[in-house]
Amino acid sequence: MSPDRLSTTLSALADPTRRAILARLAAGEATVTELAEPFAMSLPGISKHLKVLERARLIARGRTAQWRPCRLEAAALKEVADWVERYRRHWEESLDRLDQYLKDVQAAETQGRDPGHE
Amino acid sequence: MDHPEVSTIDRELTVTRVFDAPRELLFRMWTDLQHIAKWWGPQGFTTTSLQMDFRPGGTYRACMRSPEGTLHCRRGVYREIVAPERLVFSFAWEDEDGNPGHQTIVTVSFADLGRKTLLTLHQAIFETVERCDDHRRGWTSCLERFAEYLATADLSGG
Repeated sequence: MSPDRLSTTLSALADPTRRAILARLAAGEATVTELAEPFAMSLPGISKHLKVLERARLIARGRTAQWRPCRLEAAALKEVADWVERYRRHWEESLDRLDQYLKDVQAAETQGRDPGHE
Repeated sequence: MDHPEVSTIDRELTVTRVFDAPRELLFRMWTDLQHIAKWWGPQGFTTTSLQMDFRPGGTYRACMRSPEGTLHCRRGVYREIVAPERLVFSFAWEDEDGNPGHQTIVTVSFADLGRKTLLTLHQAIFETVERCDDHRRGWTSCLERFAEYLATADLSGG
């Protein structure tokens, strides 16, 4: 997966309206009019968002003459999910190392303590 | 039509860990130049540079080398510093030209469990103002309840 494609996907997802559109499409196909309905937004306004989502391959649009229903494309979302999981591994492994480092630091402090002092 | 991946849309990541150390020490591990380089990163990664302007609004930049030899640099801004209980910063990896990629917000909370500390790391993949405020309110009370529970629970063998 190319970093550019991931950036495109993440930019597309960075907008809350676009995320809401995707959530709606998860429940099934919808027309542009249906998608525009929950937002106080014009059809051209929604269309702009749909273009961004389409370019990021998050949605696909049908070719039927007037209708052109939109549907969710899962592949790009899966790439984001994988990317998030890589972050999780990054943190988990870092915290493993932190745990070990803490033990080393505390062990060194214990050894360095002067028994006559306590 | 089933799309389980759609949960990615509101993706946030949470990692929790109990450490056998007081939170003042743990907080220092996250914020002290000398300590960070000793543990940050996946296994086999070595920190090669680290610059920190450690104050709210200050920036940081760090690079580490993977076992294969590739350099990975990251940078961000400190949003909140509340020692020893919370650290909030933005986080973005740099591409090969040094330009920052997608920015996420990381919140690290340190809850006092006496001689131990409950560390909770929350990473918001997409930043919205409302969500940050919401999670912070809900987060604090959630942590307090969990800390109380753990303090009274039997922690032997940990």
